[in-house]
Amino acid sequence: MEHLILRDLDISDIDRIEVYEKHGGYSAFRKAVKEMAPDQVTDAVKVSGLRGRGGAGFPAGVKWSFLPKGVFPRYLVANADESEPGTFKDRQIMERNPHQFIEGMAIASYAIQCHHAFIYIRGEFPHAAQCLERAIAQAEARGYLGEKILGTDYALRITVHRGAGAYICGEETALLESMEGKLGQPRVKPPFPAVVGLYNKPTVINNVETLANVPLIIERGADWYAKIGTAKSTGPKIFCLSGHVNRPGNYEAPFGSISLRDLIFDLGGGIRGGKKLKAILPAGASSFVINPAANEAVLDAKLDFESLTPFGSALGSASVIVMDDATCMVWMAKKTSHFFEHESCGKCTPCREGTYWMARLLDRIDSGAGTLADIDLLANVANQILGKTLCPLGDFSTAPVTSSVKAFREEYERHVKERGCWARK
Amino acid sequence: MPQVTIDNKKVEVPNGTLIVEAAKKVGVEIPVFCYHPKLQPVGMCRMCLVEVGTPKRGKDGQIELDANGAPAIAWMPKLQTACTTVVSDGMTVRTDTAQVADARRAIVEFLLTSHPLDCPICDKGGECPLQNLTMAYGPGQSRFPVESKFHNAKRVPLGDLIMLDRERCIQCSRCVRFQDEIADDHVLGFAARGRGLEIVTLSDPPFDSKFSGNTIDICPVGALTSRDFRLSARVWEVRDYPSVCAHCSVGCNILIGERDHAIKRIVPRENASVNEIWTCDKGRFVHHFTVAPDRLTTPLVRKNGNLEPATWNEALDLVASRFKEIKWHDPNAIGGLAGDRASNEDLYLFQKLFRQVIGSNNLDHRVGWSVTNTGADSVRVYGAGVGTNLGALDQNVTALVFGADPEEEQPVIRLRLKRSARTFGANLIVANGRVTKLAKYAKQSLVYQYGAEAYFLLGLIRAILDERLENRDFIATRVQNFDAFATSLEPYTVERCAEICHVKPEKIRDAARQIAQSPNFLILYGREAMFAQQNDVAVARALAALLLITGHLGRANNGLVALYPHNNSTGAIDFGVLPDGGVGRTRVERRGLSAREMLGRSNERPSMRALYVMACDPAADGNFVKPEFLVVQDLFLTETARLADVVLPAQSFAERDGTFTNTERRAQLFRAALKPIGEAKPDWWIIAEIAKRLVSGLQFQVSGSQVSGNLKPETWNYATASAVMDEIAATVSLYKGMTYAALAENVKLPRPRSGQGNPSEQPTEIAMGELENISSGKVWASVAESDARAKFELVWSEPSRPLTADSRPLTLAVARSLYDGGTLVSKTQIVQARVPAPFVEINSQDAEQLGIADGARVRVSFDMRVIELDARVDGHVPPDAVLIPNNLDGTAALPMGARVKIEKV
Ligand SMILES: Cc1cc2nc3c(=O)[nH]c(=O)nc-3n(C[C@H](O)[C@H](O)[C@H](O)COP(=O)(O)O)c2cc1C
Ligand code: SF4
Ligand code: SF4
Ligand code: SF4
Ligand code: FES
Repeated sequence: MEHLILRDLDISDIDRIEVYEKHGGYSAFRKAVKEMAPDQVTDAVKVSGLRGRGGAGFPAGVKWSFLPKGVFPRYLVANADESEPGTFKDRQIMERNPHQFIEGMAIASYAIQCHHAFIYIRGEFPHAAQCLERAIAQAEARGYLGEKILGTDYALRITVHRGAGAYICGEETALLESMEGKLGQPRVKPPFPAVVGLYNKPTVINNVETLANVPLIIERGADWYAKIGTAKSTGPKIFCLSGHVNRPGNYEAPFGSISLRDLIFDLGGGIRGGKKLKAILPAGASSFVINPAANEAVLDAKLDFESLTPFGSALGSASVIVMDDATCMVWMAKKTSHFFEHESCGKCTPCREGTYWMARLLDRIDSGAGTLADIDLLANVANQILGKTLCPLGDFSTAPVTSSVKAFREEYERHVKERGCWARK
Repeated sequence: MPQVTIDNKKVEVPNGTLIVEAAKKVGVEIPVFCYHPKLQPVGMCRMCLVEVGTPKRGKDGQIELDANGAPAIAWMPKLQTACTTVVSDGMTVRTDTAQVADARRAIVEFLLTSHPLDCPICDKGGECPLQNLTMAYGPGQSRFPVESKFHNAKRVPLGDLIMLDRERCIQCSRCVRFQDEIADDHVLGFAARGRGLEIVTLSDPPFDSKFSGNTIDICPVGALTSRDFRLSARVWEVRDYPSVCAHCSVGCNILIGERDHAIKRIVPRENASVNEIWTCDKGRFVHHFTVAPDRLTTPLVRKNGNLEPATWNEALDLVASRFKEIKWHDPNAIGGLAGDRASNEDLYLFQKLFRQVIGSNNLDHRVGWSVTNTGADSVRVYGAGVGTNLGALDQNVTALVFGADPEEEQPVIRLRLKRSARTFGANLIVANGRVTKLAKYAKQSLVYQYGAEAYFLLGLIRAILDERLENRDFIATRVQNFDAFATSLEPYTVERCAEICHVKPEKIRDAARQIAQSPNFLILYGREAMFAQQNDVAVARALAALLLITGHLGRANNGLVALYPHNNSTGAIDFGVLPDGGVGRTRVERRGLSAREMLGRSNERPSMRALYVMACDPAADGNFVKPEFLVVQDLFLTETARLADVVLPAQSFAERDGTFTNTERRAQLFRAALKPIGEAKPDWWIIAEIAKRLVSGLQFQVSGSQVSGNLKPETWNYATASAVMDEIAATVSLYKGMTYAALAENVKLPRPRSGQGNPSEQPTEIAMGELENISSGKVWASVAESDARAKFELVWSEPSRPLTADSRPLTLAVARSLYDGGTLVSKTQIVQARVPAPFVEINSQDAEQLGIADGARVRVSFDMRVIELDARVDGHVPPDAVLIPNNLDGTAALPMGARVKIEKV
C-alpha cells in the first residue's frame, strides 16, 4: 500500500524539493493560498477529522478555530520535541520527508494567519534540525516561504528552535516557556496557548506528524481523508514499534486497520530470540502496561485512539514498546520511575516529591529490601500523585507503576519474598 | 457580579475573583503555600485543591435542574486549584469533603518527605505556614524513610543579607515572584529540575536588590532567613512593638521585634497607604546603631578641656545658666540647629524653646542643605490631596516625577510608583538630569540639563498656554496675577526653553498636553530639583504655576509631593524649625538666621555666641567653627559633639514614643520598644528641662516679639511624648485632633504571641497582606483642600541660566546612595558590603574628551576641595554633568550644582 506520511519508504529521495514537487508537493499549499480563504482551510481540516498525533488526540481543526478573533500576531509552533521513550516517528518525517511537514506547517500557518512559525526540536536531533533547515532554505528559494508567497500577499517565515534536552519541554506550555528563554516548566491552564501562547500571543501548537497530514487533506480533500481510518480516528497513523521484536521501526497504517498482534507478530516479525510476549507499553513510558496473558483480546483490538480503553490502557503517541518474558516488570517500573523522576520539572509538589518517592520505593523493592507493605505504599503514593499535578507528566509517571502493580502483582511479591530480582539472578 | 456557593455559603464577588479570595469572604480558609495575594498565582504547590462544579447546561444552553429543582451541578472530574481558578456565576465549590482532605494530606505529606524538619533550630518555627498547615491538614505520621531523604545545601549565602537553606525550600517561587513582580529586580530564579529544583541568585553581586528582606517574610518556610536575625532568638520570645522606620521620608510602618532589650529584627507592618507589607533592606537591617557600644550613656560636661561624665542636673543647669547669661545680652546670639530626623514632639518643643523662651528665630533644620526654598510653602498650599495613594494611581492620573531618585532615596516609593504604573496604568513622566531606575516605568522619560530645571518647567507651562490647554475657569475664579505672569513668560518660548534645558520641544509639548489633559495630575519633586542651585525658588514657583494653570490641586491625586531626604523633614517644616517659618507652617515676622548664616565660614568669627545642636552634625561637613558655648544633643559623640561644652545623651526612636510626619504629610506614631540606653533621655524631655530651668524663678523681660505667656515653668510640664502631642493637637491647626489615640487607630499587632496579646489566638503569618487595606496615620490637609474659596497667586521668578560656557568645568550632580557612610549605616556590619565604593560617573563623550577610561582614577576639584575617585563611564549622566553619590568614603557634604574640574591622576 502507498505510504501517505512515510513517503520516503516509497520515494527514497523525497527530501529533495524537486522530487517532492514532482510528486505533487506544495500543490496543496498553492491551492490553499491561492484558492481558499483561511477559514476554509480550517474547516476542511475540521471536516477531515484529523486528530493530534502528539498523544492527546485533540481535533486539529477545532484547535485552530479557538484563536481569538482579531488578535495578532499569532504563532504556529510545531512540537518536534519527540522525547517520549519509544517514540521516533517525527524524527523519520523530519529527516526523510521534511517537505511534507513544512508544507503542512505552511498550510496551517495560512489557515490561522500566522506569519512566523517555529519548530521546537529536541536538542538531541541535530541531524533532523539540519534537514529541516535545509528544507526551509529550499522552500524559501522556491518562493513557498518568505514575502509575497506564490504571488499573493501572504508572508511566512519558519524558524527552527533547538531544545536543550528536557522531556517536559514537549508539554506545550513548557515548550513555550523554553522558547521564550525561560526554565522549561509548564504554565497553568487556562489560559490556553490558543489565547495566551508564545510571547503572550495566540498560538497553535501541533505535533509534527499532525502537521504532516495536513497537505493530504487539502490536496485530496477532507472527505477522502475522513474515509481513511475509523469514524472517530481518521487518517493514517505511524506506529513506533520497539523492544524485543525482530523488526523494530516505524509502521504506517490507517487507524483501526491493524491490531497489536498484527503490529508485533506480522509487521514486527514477532518476539526476538524465540521468546514469548510478556508485556506491552503502547504509549511509551507513559503507558498503562498491558498484560496480554490476562486478556488475550487486547491483542486483537484494532488500534485507534479509543480501542485500548476497555483494556485499561491508551494508545497515546503509539510508541509501542514490547517486552519478552525475560523482562522483569518491577525493573520496568523502576526504569520508568527513574525516567520520570529525572524528567519531572519540579514545579508542582506531587510530581516533584512523588516521582522521587516512587523511584526510592522501586529501588528498594527491586533490590530486595522491600516489604509487602511497600508494594501497597507504592500504589498508594502513585494514587496520591494522580489527578493533583499541574501538568499530565505527573499522571503519566503513575501509569506504569499502578498498572504493573495491578497486572503483575505477584512479580512484586516475588521480589520481596526472594529478596531481589528473579530476572537478574 | 458572579455568585458562588462555597461549602453551602453563597457570596457575590467581583468578576475575576479567585476561588481562594472568594472563600475568605465567607470565612472558609483554603490552605495555600505558593499563593500570595500580592503575587500572580502560579498553582505550583497544589495545596489549595478543591472540588469545583458549574451549573449543568442542556443542549439548549439552559441550566438543568436536579430532582429538588435546584440547578444540577456538573462537577469537574479533577480537583482544581483554588488559587488559579476564577469564579464564574453559579459555580459551586466544596472544600469540606473527604476528597479535598485527602488531597491536602497528600500534599503536606509530599512536602514533608524531603523537608529536613529541623523546626527546633529553624527561625521560621512558630510562625511557619508549613508547620501550621501540617498541624491543621497533614498526616500524623511519616511513611517516608528518613534515610531516603533528599539532601541539599543548608547554608547558601544568597547575598549579604539572606541565607538560603535549600533543604527547607518548598519551591513555591514566592521569592522569585516577589523579586520579579514587586521589586522588579530580576535577581532570583530556579535552576535544575525535579527534586533538584533549587533557588539561585542570578545577579552579581548576588541578590542585588534593595528589597531582599521581604522574601524572608513571604517565604512560607524557613528557607530564606535573615543573616542578621538568624538563630538569634525564637520568634515567640520576640516581642513586637509598632514603630515607624526612621531612615527615609517614606515612613514605612514596621514592627520592632525586641528581646533582651535589643532589636532582634524589624519586619514590616501593614499600611496600605504607605508601604503595603514591604520595607526596604535599610529599614529592616540598619538598626544596630540603637544598641551600638559607643552610644552616649551619660551627659558630658567639658572640664579642664575634657568632656567628663556629669549628672543630668549638672549638665542641664550649666546649659540653662549659660543660655540665660547670653540671652541677657542678646537672645539673637543663641542659635538652634535641629536635625530633621528628630520627632515632631522634639522639633515642636525645640522651636517653642527658641521662640517663646529664648526669644530667637535663629533656627534651622537644613544643616548641610545648600538651598533655602524646599517647597515648603507650595506643599502647604498645593500639597497632594488627602487620599492620594502613590501605590494605586491609575490611568486617570499623570504624575511628573521631577529631579528625584526614589530607588536610592525613598526606596519603597519606587516600588509603589512602579505598581501604579505597571498594575494600575498610571501615566508617569519622569524628568531628571540623568536616567534613574524609575525611568523604565515612565511613559515619557526626559533628561534635562542640570541647572536648567526651571527652563524645563517654564517650557511645559508655555506649551500648555500656547495650545490653550490651561484651565480657564479655574484661572478666572481662583488665580491671581495670571496676566502679569503670562507677560513675564513672553520671552520663554518652548523652543528657547528646549534649547536651554536640552529636552526636545516636541517632547515638552507632548508632556505638557498629557499634564493638562489628564483628569488628575500629581508632581513628585525630589532633592535634585529642590536643590537646583540658583534656581530653587524659580523651580518651586514654576511647579506651583504648573498646578495652578491646570487647576490640578485641592483633590486626591492632584498637587505636590515633596520627596524629602530625611524621615521627618516634613515635621521640621511643620513645626517651624526654620528661621522664617513658624509652627504650623506660618510665617514669622522677624526672620532669623539660617543654618548657613549661623555656621558662617571657616575664616569668619562665628555669628552665634551659643549653639544648641540637636540630632545633627554640622561639624562633619567641615568648616565648623566652635562658638563660645556649644551644646550637642545626640546618640553619639559626633564630630560636633567632640567640640561641645555640654553633650546630652538622647534616646533613639526605638527607646521612646513619638511621631514622624512622612513625605506625604502623614503623621505616624512610633512606640518605645527598648529600655533606654544608660541615662539617655528623649529629646523632648531634655528640651523641656532646659526650658523649665530657663524660666524658673526669674520672670524677666525678654526682648523680641514672640514671647507670650509661656514663661511659667508649668507650661513645660510634659509627662510623656503623648502629652506634647496633645498640646500640638490642640494648638496647631494642621495637626488638629492628631492625638496618639487618633494616630494609633488601625495600628495592629498582627501576631499576638505568648506573653503578648491573647495567647489563645493563633499566631498569624507575617506579611500575608490579607488585602484588608489597613491604613493608619493622619495626613493634614493643604490650603487648597481645606479652603474651597482660597485664591492663589501666580508668582513669577526669573530663572538664571545654567552655566554652559564650555563643557569643562562640568556641573556636579549629587546623588545619594541608600547605603552610605553615615553614622547609622556604619553601625550595621552586615550591610557594609552593600555600601558602594565612592565613584564619579561621567558621560562617555566627556570621558573621551578628557581621556578618562572606565575605572580610571581621577582627581575632582570643586569649591576649593579636591577628591580622588574612581571614574564610572556610562550612560546615566548627560554630557556636561558628573555625578557623585554623597556621603560615601570621602564624599561628604557635596554641593549640588558646583562647577567641577576632572583630570586623570
Ligand atoms: C509531559 C508531556 C510531554 C509531551 N511531549 C510531547 C512531545 O514530545 N511531542 C508532542 O508532539 N507532544 C508532546 N506532548 C503533547 C503536547 O503537550 C501537545 O498536546 C501536543 O504537542 C499538541 O499537538 P497535537 O494536538 O498535534 O497532538 C507532551 C505532553 C506532555 C504532558
Ligand atoms: S506534573 Fe511534574 S512535570 Fe508537570 S508541572 Fe508538575 S512537576 Fe512539572
Ligand atoms: S526559598 Fe522560600 S519563597 Fe523561595 S521558593 Fe523556596 S520556599 Fe518558596
Ligand atoms: S523605604 Fe525608607 S522608610 Fe521604608 S524601610 Fe526603607 S528607609 Fe525605611
Ligand atoms: S496555593 Fe494553589 S497551588 Fe499553591
